Formats: sequence, C-alpha cells, structure tokens
Amino acid sequence: MGLIFFLLFCNLFLSITKADAGDTLPGPPSDLTKLSLEELMEMRVETVYGASKYEQKLTEAPSSVSIVTSDEIKKYGYRSFAEVLRSIRGFQTTNDRNYSYLNVRGFGLPGDYNSRILLLIDGHRINDNIYNAAALGREFPLEIDLIDRIEVVRGPGSSLYGSNAFFAVINVITRRGRDLKGVEVSGEAGSFSSYKGRLSYGNTFDNGPEMLFSGSYYDSKGNRRLFYSEFDDPSTNNGIAEDLDYERYGNLFGEMTFQDFTLQGNYNYRKKGVPTASYETLFNNSRFFTVDEQFWADLKYAHTYPEHLNVLARVNYNYYKYYGDYPLEGDPAAGEPEVLINKDYTRGEWFDSELQFVKSFADRNKVILGAYLQYDPKQVQRNFYINSGRDGFRDKRNSHNWALYTQGEIEMAHNLVLNAGLRYDHYKTFGGTINPRAALIYSPFDMTAFKLVYGRAFRAPNVYELYYHDGSNTQKPGLDLEPEVINTYEAIYEQYLGENYRATVTGFFYRIDDLIALQTDSSDGLLVFRNVDEVEAKGMEFELGGEWKCGTEGRVSYTFQETENRQTGDVLPNSAKHLAKLNVVLPLIKDKLFLGLEEQYTSRRRNVSGDFTGGFFITNLTFFSRDLTEGLELSASVYNVFDKKYVDPASETHRQGNIEQDGATGRVKATYKF
Amino acid sequence: MKKIILFILFFISPFYIIFAPDNARSEELKPGEYQVKAAFLYNFLKFIEWPEGPVKTADAVTLCILGEDPFGRDIDIIRGKAVRDRVLSVRNIGSVQEAGECRILFISPSERKNIAHILEKARGSGVVTIGDTEGFAQQGVIINFFLENDRVRFEINIEAAKKADLQISSKLLKLARIVENTGPTITGTGR
Repeated sequence: MGLIFFLLFCNLFLSITKADAGDTLPGPPSDLTKLSLEELMEMRVETVYGASKYEQKLTEAPSSVSIVTSDEIKKYGYRSFAEVLRSIRGFQTTNDRNYSYLNVRGFGLPGDYNSRILLLIDGHRINDNIYNAAALGREFPLEIDLIDRIEVVRGPGSSLYGSNAFFAVINVITRRGRDLKGVEVSGEAGSFSSYKGRLSYGNTFDNGPEMLFSGSYYDSKGNRRLFYSEFDDPSTNNGIAEDLDYERYGNLFGEMTFQDFTLQGNYNYRKKGVPTASYETLFNNSRFFTVDEQFWADLKYAHTYPEHLNVLARVNYNYYKYYGDYPLEGDPAAGEPEVLINKDYTRGEWFDSELQFVKSFADRNKVILGAYLQYDPKQVQRNFYINSGRDGFRDKRNSHNWALYTQGEIEMAHNLVLNAGLRYDHYKTFGGTINPRAALIYSPFDMTAFKLVYGRAFRAPNVYELYYHDGSNTQKPGLDLEPEVINTYEAIYEQYLGENYRATVTGFFYRIDDLIALQTDSSDGLLVFRNVDEVEAKGMEFELGGEWKCGTEGRVSYTFQETENRQTGDVLPNSAKHLAKLNVVLPLIKDKLFLGLEEQYTSRRRNVSGDFTGGFFITNLTFFSRDLTEGLELSASVYNVFDKKYVDPASETHRQGNIEQDGATGRVKATYKF
Repeated sequence: MKKIILFILFFISPFYIIFAPDNARSEELKPGEYQVKAAFLYNFLKFIEWPEGPVKTADAVTLCILGEDPFGRDIDIIRGKAVRDRVLSVRNIGSVQEAGECRILFISPSERKNIAHILEKARGSGVVTIGDTEGFAQQGVIINFFLENDRVRFEINIEAAKKADLQISSKLLKLARIVENTGPTITGTGR
C-alpha cells in the first residue's frame, strides 16, 4: 500500500514544483549559466566506452548498453556487485551461499562459474586463468564504494575482447583522485552482525599527478541458523546449519596517474563459510569454507597523438588463488580421522599486455587496430586429503594466447553507420578462432537509433575443464576440448522521448554450439567434459527510463526470454521466462534526502532435478541523504521488505534442489568526506 | 492483496513515467551535452581578454556557429545574456568569410574537412576559435571540447591563443588540458 503512496507522493511533489517553476522559471532552464566552470565540469552527459573501446554516445554504440553510476549505487543501497547487476534489464543473479552467479539472456546453468561474462576493471581483463570466472558477489575483487560507474554491454564482444565475452562485457570504471579530493571514511552495519569499514584518500595536484588509495574490511556472521529439510535428521543436527554462513573480505586499492601513465594495484581476500554441505561434505561442519584471493598491478599508457591517433598500451601482472576445506566422512578403520579434510586448491598467475591504436578520420569514420598477448606462467590445480592414503590430484600448466583485432566505424550514408570488427585469437591448447561482429546503426533523427547486430563469440575451454580429474576414480580430463561458440542476432531500437525519457526495445536470437558440459563416458563410466550441448534462445526486452531535475529518476523494464537445450528440448535450468524490474528514486527533500525503491520480479525457474521453483517479487527500499551537514552521506536500507521466502536453483553438487535466500534484512551506512 | 499492489505498481509505472507533469520535461536532471557546452561558452567569456581592435562592435559580443549547428535550441540559454555589460548575440554562419564580426567562432564537427582553411582565414583576427572535435586543438583551434568519464572537458592550444593575441586567464588554463600544435617547430608548453 505504501508503495502506491510513494508514487502519488512524487506526482504531488512534481505538481508542487510545477507551480513553483511556473512562477519563477519562465522558458527553458537558465540556471546552467549560473554554474561555475568547476561545477560544469562535474556535470555528466551520457557516453559509453566498453562497446567499442573508445568513448562514444550510447546511441552510437554497436550494442544495447546499460549504465549504473555510483550515485545509483548509493541511492539504491547496493551492498555487493551482484546486487547492482541484479537491477539491470534482463539480468538475474543467484546465490548458493558460497558464490554469486549471473544469468544473462536466460543462460546461467547452476554450477557454472560466470565464465561466459567478461569482467573488465578500467578496461583490464579480470576473469581468472583457471576457471575464467568473473567474481561477482562479495568475492568481486574491487571495493564497491570505489566504483564510479558500470557499463554493461550486451551481446557478443569477442570481436574486440576475445574469450569469455559471450553474453556480455561488464566494464567497471573506478573513481579517481579528483572524485575524492580528500579523505573519505565510511562505516556500515547490517543484519546478521555485518559490519564494514573503509578509509580512502584521493587527490589531484596542480602539476598533474593524481592518486587514490583505499582500504576496506567487511565481516559478517551471516544467517546463524539455516534449516535444510534434506538433512532433517537427528544425526545431522535436524537439518540446522549453525554459524556457517559467515563471510569476511578485505580490499586494498591504489592508483596513481602521472601524465599519460596510470599505475593501478588491487588486492582482495574473501573467506566464506559454506552451510549447504555441498560436494557430499559433512552437514553442519564448521570446517567447510572457501577462500578467494586476487591481486593485480596494471600499468597503462594512453596518449593522443596528432592526426587523431589515440594510443593505448598496457601491461599487467595478475594473481588468483582459491582454496577450500571440504570436510568428509573419514574411514577410521583405514587409519583416517573421523572428519577427513579434503583440500581443494588452485593458483593462477598471468601477465597480459595490449597495444591499441584508434585512428579517427573525417566525419565519424574510425579504425581500431589492436594486439593482445596473455602469458600464463602458472595454472596450478591441486586436490588432496589430510591424514589419508587416498589419491590426490595435482596439475601444473602454463600456456599463452595472443590475438589481433580490428574494428572500423564507417559512415556509409547520411545517418547510416556500419560498425564492423574482427578478432583472431590463438590458443596454445586448441589453435585459432576468428570472431566477427557487424552492426548497422541508422539514426534518421537525433533522438532515434535503429541497430542491427550480428556477432559471433567464443569461450576457450579453461584448464579446469581440460585437465581436472580425481585420479580417474570418477572423473577424467577432457583433453581435446574445443571452444564453445555463440552466434547472436539482435535488433535494437532506441528512442529518446522529449529530453527526459529513453526507451529501448530489443529482440535477440542466439545459438550456442559445442557447449561444454560434464558427461559420462559410456565406455568407462567416467565423468568427462565434452563439447556436446546445443542451446537456442530468443527474447525481447523493453525498457523505459527517465530523469527529472527535481531529482526523480527511474526505469522500468520487462524481459521475455525462451531457452531450449536442443538435445533434450527442455528449457535450461535456472532460466526464467519473465523478468521485470522497476527502479525509482524520489526526492523527499530536494538534493538532500532521497527514497530509492526497487522492485524485481523473476518468474518460475526449472532446477536441475526438473522441478520448478516459484516466481517471486522482491522489494528493496533505501533512504539516502547527502550534505545534511556538509560532506556527510547517510543511508538506511531494507532489502526484501516483505520478507518474501524465495529460492534459487542449486547445482548438482548440492543435495538440496534449491537454496533458500535471505528474508528481510537491513543496513545503515554513513560516509564522511573531508 | 500484495500481488495486486505489485501488479498495479508495475502496470502504472510506465504510464506514470510517460505522463508525469509536463514541465518536468524541460527540467531533466542530466542536462543535454550541448546545454552544458553552451554554458561553458558563456563562462569562457569571463576568462578571455581580447586585444584592442580590429573587432569593434559596440554593445555586443558575437558568437558565431559555423557549419551544422549541434546546439539547436540549447544555445538559447545563453543567447542575449549580458557579459561584462555587453550582450551576447548568437549567429549561425555558413562560411568563414562571414566571420568578420565574430568574437567567438564555434566550428562545428561538420567542418572537419575544411579546418585548415577556416583557421587560415580566422588567423590574427582576435577571434577565439572553439571546436568540438577530436584533434581540432592540435591543428590550431584554441579551445576544443572533449568528453571524459561522461563529463565535458576542454583543451587549450596556448600557442594558438598567443598567435591570436588573446589573454587566457590562468584559472581557465588550470582547468584545461594543454595541447600542442602538431607542427614540428613547436616544443613543449605546459605539463
């Protein structure tokens, strides 16, 4: 009931400002001219980088793009990167109380590691070199408060970015020293004894250098009593997992810019207790946890040379480590302890380097040429038992891949632009692959864009799929895997309506071939990864967004999507046919106090055992205030306001078919800048 | 009941967004790129000193827009505004020959191919050339807009400003990215 009231309220609010405006502001707004140069330089206009590797206007991008700004992150009270992604048209996230997973365009098989999404931070590839996974929950390797904005570029991006740019490329742009100009301290407290603290400093100096340093720490006890009916037996604590949902992370970030050079370093550590007893582990055993650590140091050089030539060169070192303890039932008769610890461990190190030229010609014509090289000196996977004679597994690899790519933007006729690109990738493991993308962009009017896009993308088999085995007890390595391939066709219509509204309608069709899936080899009964599955999907998306000077902003979207496994004819697991999202920010006191309202609908989804989970609505509310006293931001949020009980489909490694998610939770946060 | 409310919420919200009060349309939170650029142009006037003569039009400072006009109605927010007791007038011109009385010459991206010719004609007349196209500053346009992180920024070619005998205040220079001519004879300025 309250929700409707809020909407009426803003109508009311707008009517009041209307009366005011009528009295004091005849004609178009004139206040812009009253702003100082510094204030003007802080004003945003809409552009996007990730779709073409250079900044361009949204309507000129060869994709359908969504952008989330730091302002929205504050006003909607997002606590993790996954929560941000969940608000985006057509995106859906799931969580198994260990990791968060992203579902795009109906595709997000339970148990997959986000390897069909490419995650970039300031243009630097973040997917690790073991699972090629994009970490998106609180394991996301960057402190969320350091995000300036997020660009989500839908559709295949392999023609520019290579492997993993299968369904979407997500480019996260970090805040810069000039965005802080001083010290920022932030503290927050939330349900389940969750606390976070952050200290950041950023500045830019007259003679050019700019810097930002930040450290943060998060600690949560999690839901201290979780009930799983599958384990409802006196021998397994009546299905109650106690104190096992804890989570901690720490992040250190630093960036320095001098003239054309930017050096960025980041370190992230996350530990998560796992309460679900997945992988046949002992139920309610406090030893079950996973840890993810990621570090990188990235040096970037960007310069604009005469004759409209932009050069970008970068080189970076990356480190990823994952380990976990999996408590199993030991065999005391064989000399094993009662709780046998299985340790799973992977470590990856890689360097990548990129050189890219963007040359602009007359009118809108542009050409990109680029080269990319990745060298992986270490890709280590280990699995072993403590105090047991059982066989372990150890695999150590190194590999490399390189690529050459080009993209051109050609104005073929007035209002008609062809944006076409091609990338050749070469992998040590399977050889070469060529992936093109072509987009025709027709803008008959300033406010209108029609885009037709074809793209092909690939995902290289990762070392886990290629080499993991357990001594050939139950699983053998999938040595001769080929890349997965997706062909996507899209039609996009973007329309600005007046100055405040933006409407998008898209239709897509894609087909995936050679999808890698775990299979049983009938000749020896062993599990093995093979290029077997074919998937087809089609869908439509509608979105309408708007913004007003009174501070009201919002967007509403609906996605319809249908997926099909071509072998079985079934809809894919964890694929919702309908998604709807509503986001509205209402100003309660102009420029000072805002109410952020979020409403998300997910329709029923099939789980891996063929049952359907129920559809659900989730409502989140955030009150956000800024500058009540100068430099102070306060927010209070309630998530899942109606305490809706809902579940996400679990992967085969769980005894549970579905994992229940959190009910109503809350958080308060204060940030002070000085 | 809850479901009904949620349904209504989803159902009416698109209409709500569409039919929100009319005045809100002109008051969007994010101003148009060219509204912001217009406001920049107005601000520039405060930080640039022209030489005495040869331009002597009393009571008016003329801003000329050469080529395809990207501003449209957005320029109206500065049209007729007073700058240092003089009124800013805005004119659209089709060729650089008509630029005689212009104190500020905004060169549209559509003139990219003619840029060398335009600069040649505008040279020495005490006119501030302003561009909106990547690379213009390197070719001798005095102030050139560009976008960075969604924000409007500008670069200044100091050599070109000196040649035009213009005094640009240090405040403006501080906020600008300083660029150099592409010519081989010019060596480092700034940074």
